[in-house]
Amino acid sequence: MARPRPSGSWLAPGRGGGIGGPATRSDTLLFVVCLVLSVGAIAMPDELSGALAERLRNTALAPMLWLQQRAVEGRTSRARFAAMQAERDSVAFAAQTLAEVSAENERLRALLGLRARAGAATIPAEVLHQTVPTDGRTLILSAGRAAGVPPDVPVIAPEGLVGLVVSAGRLTSVAMTWAHPDFRVSASTETGEVLGIVAPSPTVEASSAFLEFRGVAFRDTVVAGTLVVTSGLGGVYPRGIPIGRVAGVRKEELGWERVYRLAPLVNPGRLMHVLILTEKRAGLAPQAFR
Amino acid sequence: MNLRRGAGRLILGFVLLVALHFYARPRLWDSRAAPDFLLLALMLFAIRARPGMAALAGFVVGLGADVLTPAHFGAGALSHTVVGYLAAWGRAVFFPHNLMVNAGFFAGAVILRNLILLLASGSGSALLGPDFLVWSTLQAITTAVAGTVILMFFRNWFAIRVA
Repeated sequence: MARPRPSGSWLAPGRGGGIGGPATRSDTLLFVVCLVLSVGAIAMPDELSGALAERLRNTALAPMLWLQQRAVEGRTSRARFAAMQAERDSVAFAAQTLAEVSAENERLRALLGLRARAGAATIPAEVLHQTVPTDGRTLILSAGRAAGVPPDVPVIAPEGLVGLVVSAGRLTSVAMTWAHPDFRVSASTETGEVLGIVAPSPTVEASSAFLEFRGVAFRDTVVAGTLVVTSGLGGVYPRGIPIGRVAGVRKEELGWERVYRLAPLVNPGRLMHVLILTEKRAGLAPQAFR
Repeated sequence: MNLRRGAGRLILGFVLLVALHFYARPRLWDSRAAPDFLLLALMLFAIRARPGMAALAGFVVGLGADVLTPAHFGAGALSHTVVGYLAAWGRAVFFPHNLMVNAGFFAGAVILRNLILLLASGSGSALLGPDFLVWSTLQAITTAVAGTVILMFFRNWFAIRVA
């Protein structure tokens, strides 16, 4: 037996699309409380908000993330099957000569008294995109501490550098991408002749987001199209991960520094799958990326 | 009995939207232009709820968005709270019996949410960039289309009258 709701109900008068009355004092009070809580959340220290977010991700939102992970895995496997098959054939062909070259390399390193070269240990992860416009600045990755992901390790894609793991939860981790305003990485040109710092551009171009290659000495000139890679300085990113290509000079600071515009190689908004580098010591060859 | 059945269908409707958001959306669309089914659920709730409850629902949905995109924690909660409250309050102004008015309502909510979100996260300059001008517009259109389709087929579940 349907009965009309009392006036104290959460339903507005005239439910079913009718015109409701103006907001009551209790509505306004609830709205103000929610606003104050939201502003409090914005002002919360990063450590506290990070811990709260991680706790919620591992409890209340875990089923939703599990569901999204299954969906992304399904899409990735469907979309990439053909490309993977082609790559596998190419790699299988290249691997035919790899054992011989590897053995020769080991013999030569032994002759020179060098220790064995450390390999790059990686953990694969799916990117769980969200629908808000700030999504590309931080990414939720489907691998966490349970899969062996530590915090402060680089995240890469087949094209180059994506960013850094800033927090690793039990099942998921959060990566800060190059598009985040706080992102910085020590970089050099591919030959290692010119050093600088790569950071996101504070201004937004009409067509696409750019990076800046800052702190380049005025005497050094970098031509357009030059590949910029991580320098390995600072101990977080290994040397050799491609970041972007120089697209021109952005500004010159009083004759002592040049800032170059850098077209990033990776688009965080379109990434489906990434690799988390857990071995920082190993240098990487830029040729390994495409 | 009818009331219980109605409540059951309403809950099922919201569960369907959550499932669409986390399972169907990542399989089908580019996330930047994909319809935001959680915002759609908030709007469908706000259309029939009191402004205070809609603000609270917006806060909860926004907090969830902040947890999943922790670039600027709290910005999502703020933007969804404002959108939820204004949507419930604005029912009195925008007579929501027309399907096209509802579609415009959903699109406007996406634009307003993204505008407040970018401003609250200190990204005012992004309002002139592709994040807002291109992707927000596309997302508003896809969300409006998805909302219209859902209203056409499931309006009884959400107890919304549409002419």
